[in-house]
Amino acid sequence: MTSNNIEYLDCDVIVVGSGGTGSQAVQAAAEEGLKVIVISKDPMSSSDTKICEGVITVREAGDNTDTEEVLSENIKLAGADLPDKNITVAFANDSKDAYDRLRVNGLRPSINKEKNKPKTLAIAMGGHNKSRSVGHKNSGVAFGHTNWDTIIKYKNVEYFEDCWFLEVVKEEIEGNKGKDIKVLGGIVYDAARGKILFINAPSVVIASGGLSSLYFPKTDTMRGNTGDSYALGIKAGADLLDMEQIQFLPFCLASPPSYEGLLAGEPSTASFLGVLRDKNNKVILDSVYLRTRAECSEAIMRAVEDGRGSPNGGAFLDMTKNISAPKSGKYFMKYLKSALPSAYNNARQALGKEAGKAEIPWEVRPSAHYSMGGIRVDEYTRVIHSAENQYEPIIIKGLFAAGQAMGGLFGANRLGSTSLTELAVFGYRAGKSAAKNANQSVKNKNYDIFHKHYFNFKNLFNKKGKLKPYKLKLDLQKKCWDNIGPARTEKKLKKMLTYLEKIEKDLNNVNVPKEMIWNQQFLDLIELKNMITTAKAIAIASLKREKSVGGHVRLDKKTSSLFSKPYSTLVKINKNNAFEAFKLLRQKTPLKRIINYKISEKFRFMKAKILRILPESISDKIIENKYKNILGTDQITIKPGSLDGAPGDKVNQI
Amino acid sequence: MEEKYLNIKIKLKRNNEIKLIEYKYKKRTYDERPMALDVLLQAQEEQYDDLAFRYGCRARNCGVCTIDVNSRPKLACRARVREGDILSAIVTLPVIKDLVVKRDGITRQMKGYNNIPKKNDLNEDADKLYHNLTACIECYACLDGCPVHAKNNIADIKKNDAYKYGNPYSFLKIQRLLIDPLTPDSEKHKLIDKAKRLGLEIYRREYNSFKIKCGVGINLKDEVIKPLLDAAYGDEIEKQNK
Ligand SMILES: Cc1cc2nc3c(=O)[nH]c(=O)nc-3n(C[C@H](O)[C@H](O)[C@H](O)COP(=O)(O)OP(=O)(O)OC[C@H]3O[C@@H](n4cnc5c(N)ncnc54)[C@H](O)[C@@H]3O)c2cc1C
Ligand code: SF4
Ligand code: FES
Repeated sequence: MTSNNIEYLDCDVIVVGSGGTGSQAVQAAAEEGLKVIVISKDPMSSSDTKICEGVITVREAGDNTDTEEVLSENIKLAGADLPDKNITVAFANDSKDAYDRLRVNGLRPSINKEKNKPKTLAIAMGGHNKSRSVGHKNSGVAFGHTNWDTIIKYKNVEYFEDCWFLEVVKEEIEGNKGKDIKVLGGIVYDAARGKILFINAPSVVIASGGLSSLYFPKTDTMRGNTGDSYALGIKAGADLLDMEQIQFLPFCLASPPSYEGLLAGEPSTASFLGVLRDKNNKVILDSVYLRTRAECSEAIMRAVEDGRGSPNGGAFLDMTKNISAPKSGKYFMKYLKSALPSAYNNARQALGKEAGKAEIPWEVRPSAHYSMGGIRVDEYTRVIHSAENQYEPIIIKGLFAAGQAMGGLFGANRLGSTSLTELAVFGYRAGKSAAKNANQSVKNKNYDIFHKHYFNFKNLFNKKGKLKPYKLKLDLQKKCWDNIGPARTEKKLKKMLTYLEKIEKDLNNVNVPKEMIWNQQFLDLIELKNMITTAKAIAIASLKREKSVGGHVRLDKKTSSLFSKPYSTLVKINKNNAFEAFKLLRQKTPLKRIINYKISEKFRFMKAKILRILPESISDKIIENKYKNILGTDQITIKPGSLDGAPGDKVNQI
Repeated sequence: MEEKYLNIKIKLKRNNEIKLIEYKYKKRTYDERPMALDVLLQAQEEQYDDLAFRYGCRARNCGVCTIDVNSRPKLACRARVREGDILSAIVTLPVIKDLVVKRDGITRQMKGYNNIPKKNDLNEDADKLYHNLTACIECYACLDGCPVHAKNNIADIKKNDAYKYGNPYSFLKIQRLLIDPLTPDSEKHKLIDKAKRLGLEIYRREYNSFKIKCGVGINLKDEVIKPLLDAAYGDEIEKQNK
């Protein structure tokens, strides 16, 4: 390729990603009158934010007792004490304003006229200690419109879609505590126009989403979640936090291929009498509706490990007892259909009529949904790295990360409806921080260093090897599922690291043509590289997390005791250019809460057990009344990713 | 006995050359009725690793996977295919490569359309009609058959130019803002001017002759175009009648 394929651009703030986080960062920086460039690999605003369920946490939407302290503590405890307190406090402080900003931008909830506030869901969402989750007509698509409108609103914003952000360009300068890192801009592949963009900018905001495509097709998220955020971050010198913490939804579809990975139900879908069975029809988990997502996933994956899995590597969710009960049976169907309508529709379309009536068990398998871990930032979204000591981190000048890309907010567990708040709060904070930094920076005029950075990518065009990047990608996705998926062991994690070394070598032997316009193999290759980097961080962090906690399930180890000291895992690239993991100790929950929790857990399971051992004539009557209670409210509202969907996940709650 | 294979044709476009390939889709179960997207994914895995096509959610939400199936725009992730079907890029936007088209000329034509003040009180309910319009997933199926969009010269993919003339999607965005309870009446003329600049008049002339179909079933003629025409030209028509 020749250098006339390179286009030189200049701005104050680059925003990578046009989802909810990106659009909020754009707004914050554009309001300051700065020149902003948005880079998006998907068409504008097509992102997880656009395809989500559209339920968002708004503090005080329910009532005024929902103070900042209450919300902040709720998030921290739900995350098993791994979250960074400064960040949960920022989340709670800004949540109302952030939501109102989205409303000014075009988001229109239904209004509760009495309270003169947006309407919250009929029942407080599970795990939330207050009613504060607001739903929207047309779900995520309504957010999609809002984001789109925000990005095109400003004259001083330029955007480029079909553009893959390749690398943060940075230089090292002498600082007080050794070498400091300073951002100079970024390099972008514009696939539509067949160009490379060198963008000179003092501030770069990483708003490029998650990593669930590592597990494709076992995911319900957008294709583009190839871990780009984390790879961009760690390569720029950032620490990554809690990368082993991935939220898997246990009951997703395993077939047919067109529906593979999509959500079918949540633990609560199983209702009072639903159980999980292996291929031999043996019950592998009862009281499913009370279990956490991780418990369900674990039961399924253990059966699969033992060769007792269903044909497509899952298990069977058997709800037939619910439907056959003489009295309560008829209520069950109503419950099933209305509790999670989009998931129910997926299941009925994919599995057929009989399954739709719950007359036969559903084949289910976990899917990757959200990454709780991510780039280490402070509450202003400034990216930080631990040069010498993880407890005395240093800011990377000019680099910011927000939304699913960031870590430190949710720790081991994310409550339903909080991710949309995360992006509204921290996307905006990122834009403001980026603007402030740009205003204080002297502009770099020199593109030499861009050429140096670009050298590595230039060599990836026109490679004459034998291997196909797309094939390698598929192979990696399979290995990720097997080894760093919802069920992990030390052996698998180590195997994964060996595999990653091998596939890195394979990269030297790939075939990529030299064409510049939409070079599909080049695109697959750079996404593959990002996936490898991210997978490595997950594997190394998982080895550092010696017990099962939250989204991290170790089949070979016990669940972390509530009395042990909470810590985050931290992965970085060290001086020798190798990945290294550390522990970052976090503040522990007071003992009183732990004891409360223990008691409530015992109580939950005792109640479920009584239902099972009572004669059917009695239990049926009790269940009938329970249904009447739930269905009596005007609406049942269980949302994917929420803790309503998995009442068992409330355990971290007390 | 059901066939094990489906023969599907895929139209590739590269450097202005068009090539029709035949792909033998291997059914994974004897009764599988695959979507167009399944065929593309398998073709990419088995044979054509350089095949370019878009998708995102696989669940009819993100709106990026639109292609022509037998010359009709469809969402690839939810369009079932049959023996002999032909998959190609939509014809209403310029092809970058294979099934991928350049979409941003439409986004760019709307730049700043919404830069208008809003009312202060956020707690106003939006009408059902408003929410009908936010159901749009921006799939661009409605460009097909639109007499306004047809006036555009299909853009040069090497440039990031905006389209001059509008389309049902861009008019939907304007209409949505017009019926937004937070848009003050004093601002509405700006939105109508924008619609006029995008060629709204063309619809007025051809209202009875064109057919457009929304990918998610929004009634575009009744809920977008007609009310916009009324808002933009209603007065004039009345005057003429007097
Ligand atoms: C089915 C589903 C339902 C959900 N429901 C809810 C819910 O009800 N409530 C809730 O709070 N959360 C929900 N979530 C989670 C939530 O939607 C996401 O976590 C959130 O939208 C992430 O926002 P983001 O802006 O950080 O990333 P995204 O919205 O995913 O945006 C990422 C952007 O980055 C771009 N990008 C990525 N890599 C690059 C690159 N290398 N170069 C350039 N651009 C790049 C992408 O094109 C995209 O524009 C749900 C998620 C899913 C999948
Ligand atoms: S109006 Fe309908 S057809 Fe047009 S872009 Fe929106 S969803 Fe697609
Ligand atoms: S892939 Fe998202 S609509 Fe088809």
